[in-house]
Amino acid sequence: MSEQLRARAETLRQEVRDFYATVMPAELRDKAHRHQVLSKEDYVGWMHLLDKQGWSVAHWPEALGGKGWSPLERFAFEDELARLGCPWVIPFGVKYVGPVIYAFGTDAQKQRFLPGIKTTEEFWAQGYSEPGAGSDLAGLRTMALKDGDHYVVNGQKVWTTYAQWADWLFCLVRTDRDDKPQTGISFLLIDMKSPGVTVKPIRTMDGFAHVNEVWLEDVKVPAENLIGEEGKGWTYAKFLLKNERTAGAIVGWAWHVLDRLKKHARETRVNGVALIDQPLMRNRIGEYELRFMALELAAYQAVTAMVDGTENGSEASLIKLRGTELYQEVMETLVEALGHAGVAFDTEALHSAGLPPLGPDDTGGILKDHFYNRAATIFGGSSEIQRNIVAKVVLGL
Amino acid sequence: MTTDLETIGMLRDSAARYADDNYSFHQRWAVLEQPEGYSRQAWSDFAEFGFLALRLPEDDGGLDADAVAIGAVMEIAGSRLLMEPLLASAIVGTGLLLKQGSAAQKAALLPALADGSLVLVLADDDEAGPCVIDGNRITGAKLGVLHGDIAGKFLVSAIDAASGAAVVALVDADAAGLSRHNYKLVDGRGAATLRLDGAVAERLQPESGQPAAAALADIRDEATVALCAETLGIVRSLVHTTNEYLKVRKQFGKFIGSNQALQHRMVDCLLLQEEVRALTAAAQQALAGPAEGRVRIVSGARAYIVTAARQVANEAIQMHGGVGVTDEVDVSHYFRRLMVIAALFGNRDAHFARFVDAALTA
Repeated sequence: MSEQLRARAETLRQEVRDFYATVMPAELRDKAHRHQVLSKEDYVGWMHLLDKQGWSVAHWPEALGGKGWSPLERFAFEDELARLGCPWVIPFGVKYVGPVIYAFGTDAQKQRFLPGIKTTEEFWAQGYSEPGAGSDLAGLRTMALKDGDHYVVNGQKVWTTYAQWADWLFCLVRTDRDDKPQTGISFLLIDMKSPGVTVKPIRTMDGFAHVNEVWLEDVKVPAENLIGEEGKGWTYAKFLLKNERTAGAIVGWAWHVLDRLKKHARETRVNGVALIDQPLMRNRIGEYELRFMALELAAYQAVTAMVDGTENGSEASLIKLRGTELYQEVMETLVEALGHAGVAFDTEALHSAGLPPLGPDDTGGILKDHFYNRAATIFGGSSEIQRNIVAKVVLGL
Repeated sequence: MTTDLETIGMLRDSAARYADDNYSFHQRWAVLEQPEGYSRQAWSDFAEFGFLALRLPEDDGGLDADAVAIGAVMEIAGSRLLMEPLLASAIVGTGLLLKQGSAAQKAALLPALADGSLVLVLADDDEAGPCVIDGNRITGAKLGVLHGDIAGKFLVSAIDAASGAAVVALVDADAAGLSRHNYKLVDGRGAATLRLDGAVAERLQPESGQPAAAALADIRDEATVALCAETLGIVRSLVHTTNEYLKVRKQFGKFIGSNQALQHRMVDCLLLQEEVRALTAAAQQALAGPAEGRVRIVSGARAYIVTAARQVANEAIQMHGGVGVTDEVDVSHYFRRLMVIAALFGNRDAHFARFVDAALTA
């Protein structure tokens, strides 16, 4: 990895910090600081901001409106946003389906979909998991049967993030009943306004419904919405999952929450002594610092391997495993250190300028994130699946 | 004060049967939607069963229940996620009144506690600094008072303005100078923050002359042990539910429980459950024993159990996958209940530090 590239990544980090301080609207920055629930308008506005900076698809090739960012720049960008506590860069369009379309789609599909993805004029959701196909994605059963110039789709998807806002669903479907699990799968783009599409919210622990069930009943999908070839959906899905598992943001999230814990421990006194000076807490935070250092260095090592093309396939799994474990543990400590405030929760206050019942003004957001990210070791390839990947691709087990 | 095994068995059976018939996970949804965060019907049913008179002397129609008997009910409160103020009022509030109340104060309040018409809650935590009582006026704040939103009266721990001695003061919920801010906790139960600004208070004045500091120390230990039993109920439910899930959930063409990696983690959860059970029993015994050895066992049990339960809950969610974080399954409700339990009557670090001091002081 060249010094030049390193310097570019550092410059990018500074640009992101400047953007946060001067370009991001105060209202959005405040919501982000307090980790409030964002509306669709908030998110779309956020994605527009990133697009104006030229960052929404900077990882795409230059010919398609991107900047051809290297893995290091992608990492630096996502890491820095996460450290600042910025809203999530919703990945379904720009990170997931966009690259699938430009890598495997027809010219007509590229022209039709890529501009709306870049600007988030069209909002995308991911139709992968099913009730019987979670970790075992290839066990999916949603059927798409060809009928003249269209497919008729029947099945059920689950854990579909923001399906309630989506204009489009990219969907793994089975186009052949008889094939082996992985060979009968195809990749289909479904207009969420089609008759027969029903979205049912799933309430999670945090009291919100970010995820949904999506029921597909005799949904007619034009055959031209098939990506690539029938039966090759698994190849495209694996290509996409590789992008899902770059997992750059988790390092920044872990940093952010550890920083928040240190701030709280410095500001909070128990029996007259600052929490951070109490031996048990000091020791624990010290252990987290050490683990974070290892995580960060391992992440740079992994990104360097990606830049140099020497990766062995375990890198993203390692970052996700260690990052999510650390994040969850630090969050547990933070919630516990909040004392009574850490168990008082008012979901209403997360929608407005309202304050949490107790504690600092970001307490509600901390709790929401604690609940939501309890699933961080489950979604995007569970910790068990990540270990299976490493066992298989690196250890040959 | 040792409750006989037959009585304990009866308590356990009646609580379990009541929960089976009236407090299933689905029936509990209606309770969660109550603005006050508990079921008035269940509360009056508990009064009929005698659960609210558990601690009362037999002469007053109670059971004079020991920690094991209380634990039998608390274990069900945990395993079935009962929302009513059993711990806060029937065990802690009533227990402290029995220790510190004068004969007249007890006569005035015990009947209403036993029949459920009065909810009496201890406001004890000093996170906002201690309350101060001057004559019969009390000033200060109490944060996170469990069921403080529905209490009719409070027992407020304070220090005497003149002597600095600990005092337990009885304060009416509608006393002038008391304001409360009510809210819900993450597990759906209600709580309140109390602000006392010269609120009128009545000091508890026991004929026994037991200092309030000693009574408060005892009641905190008793509450701690009751929370251990409640946690045991939760851990047993989580282990059972997760074990069953491993036997029915299929991925990659086989039951997920056939994966050795998950089997071993499930075994670890079972080991934790057995440790929680043993520690809870030891802590219950320690309450009846001499004060010297008690702290080591009670706080040691509590510190271990908080961590053990958290690990079991995290594993339960992880092994349930996405389903585990939804509102629709009990696993996520146990997770949230454990968060609240961990914040009551001293957190894990406070108990661990207490344990270390006791264990390393020869």
